[in-house]
Amino acid sequence: MNMAWKEIRKSRIKFIILGSIIFLVSLLTFIISGLANGLSRDNAALIKDLPDGHFYMNNQANETYNLSKIDPAVQKRVLQEHQDAAALSIQMGFVNDAEDKQHGVAFVTSTESKWFANVKPGEIVLDRSLEKDGIHVGDVLTNNQFSGTFKVIGFADHKKYSHSPVAYIHMDNYKEMYRVNTMQLLFIPGQDEPQSIDGLQSFSNHQFLNTIASYNAEQMSLNMIIWFLVAISGMLFAIFFYMMNVQKIGLYGILKAIGVKTRTLFRMMWAQMFFITAIALVLSIALSQGFNLIAPEGMPFSLTMGTTLQLSILFFIIGFIGATLSGLQIRKVEPLQAIQQGDI
Amino acid sequence: MTTFTIQDVRKTFTNGEVSEQVLKGIHLGLQQGEITALVGASGSGKSMLLTIAAGLQHASGGQIPFEGQDMTGMTQEEIRKIRASQFGFIFQSSHLVPFLTVEDQLMLMLDVSETRMSKREQKEEVMKILKWVGMDHRKDAYPASLSGGEKQRVAIGRAIIHKPKMLFADEPTASLDSTRSRDVMTLIRKLTKEFNITTLLVTHDEEMLSYADRIVTMKDGLIVQSGM
Repeated sequence: MNMAWKEIRKSRIKFIILGSIIFLVSLLTFIISGLANGLSRDNAALIKDLPDGHFYMNNQANETYNLSKIDPAVQKRVLQEHQDAAALSIQMGFVNDAEDKQHGVAFVTSTESKWFANVKPGEIVLDRSLEKDGIHVGDVLTNNQFSGTFKVIGFADHKKYSHSPVAYIHMDNYKEMYRVNTMQLLFIPGQDEPQSIDGLQSFSNHQFLNTIASYNAEQMSLNMIIWFLVAISGMLFAIFFYMMNVQKIGLYGILKAIGVKTRTLFRMMWAQMFFITAIALVLSIALSQGFNLIAPEGMPFSLTMGTTLQLSILFFIIGFIGATLSGLQIRKVEPLQAIQQGDI
Repeated sequence: MTTFTIQDVRKTFTNGEVSEQVLKGIHLGLQQGEITALVGASGSGKSMLLTIAAGLQHASGGQIPFEGQDMTGMTQEEIRKIRASQFGFIFQSSHLVPFLTVEDQLMLMLDVSETRMSKREQKEEVMKILKWVGMDHRKDAYPASLSGGEKQRVAIGRAIIHKPKMLFADEPTASLDSTRSRDVMTLIRKLTKEFNITTLLVTHDEEMLSYADRIVTMKDGLIVQSGM
């Protein structure tokens, strides 16, 4: 007999309240997770879209790519050894359009590579978000550190760095603007293990992202909120089922007295937990995916089905643990005690 | 025919160095198709004896042979199986499951006792027993909407639906008025005879003793009188 379902049907209000709380907490978790992902992409899509590999910066850079200078001889040797490797530099700056309106960008320059847009001197490729700001292919842009002009030759999709649109420029232009003769980083894709290169320190893509101070701080805060919400939902399950179990101690005793197995009582509680969680998650997934579609364009929000499923599985696990912990008292229930008490 | 015997059953509670013997070596044989009523003052040990006989708590000594095995030496799981399939219980309060309908209360017991019946057969059996206890017209009602007497009738139905060999009734009329108490006792007597069940009843109510086949009087943990 499906006692779990019969109890849910009879005590609808009680279970709707628990379901609503789980729905709200899971929806909030999905939304925060979507924002964390969105902000992460907005902060570092340039790096996140690269294939797995390793970044190298020099040992004296104190893990800060801005301070890194790659020895040109080392750079030449590495690029010769690895056909798909690239040397690159990133600097925050701005460009002025024909109306002298400033647009903040992250200037990126690299050696010839399929991972980065390749442009000729005097040309620029911008992130598509700037197209929405009124910049078109063929427009001429200027920068007060650069003696020449940049002609817009195209747009790249979803290329952001430090919440700014990326602007790909040629190495010669970059070196003139920032008065440098060296590149900041080397990127070698496809390496499972980092290579030992004299004077250089290696970072996996993930490690490199964490050297970006703003990225690290932002993600840590958001992840803390997500984990906090997951922990809260686990505690909610534990507390709610504990309260329900306390109310049902007498009932459990009687059921045990007439021969119901303790295992059956646990199964009943788990079935209720899974049912409530599943309904709450289906609703919150539908709503968060809907929000994903209608989120304002300026809002960095990205919630993939993969992340949603991972979080859903986590909710089931945490709900299971919470309900089980609260249900441990069922094992201790003595039938005799329940019989000697009054009505259930 | 004696179907259930209690042999030299003792129960001692120990608290530190102080120990109290509440059952002092009880010998009792119960007859099939008969109601044996245990009577005595509060603290005489009658409810203790019933709960030990029903496998709801352990004896400190003695033997309770059932189906060729001594229940006092059984594991919790072995005793649970016996409670589920061979014993029926009627408590002072009806102790019905609040979220199950009258019909489901009895269906649950068929599930618990692992009776080999199809769903249709189970439903037919439940209806038969509900008619027997006069509750078939309330089969879809929940316990909250039943009167005390009706609840106890359902509890009786639940206690016998799986055709137990033993029926343990602990003060089944304590929460009922005299008219309903008589109804319930009439029903218990009827089913004991009809289904040839061995019934052990604990009661305070002297009026209910007229329904018993045998009356066993207990005092201070001992049987002091046994007779018809």
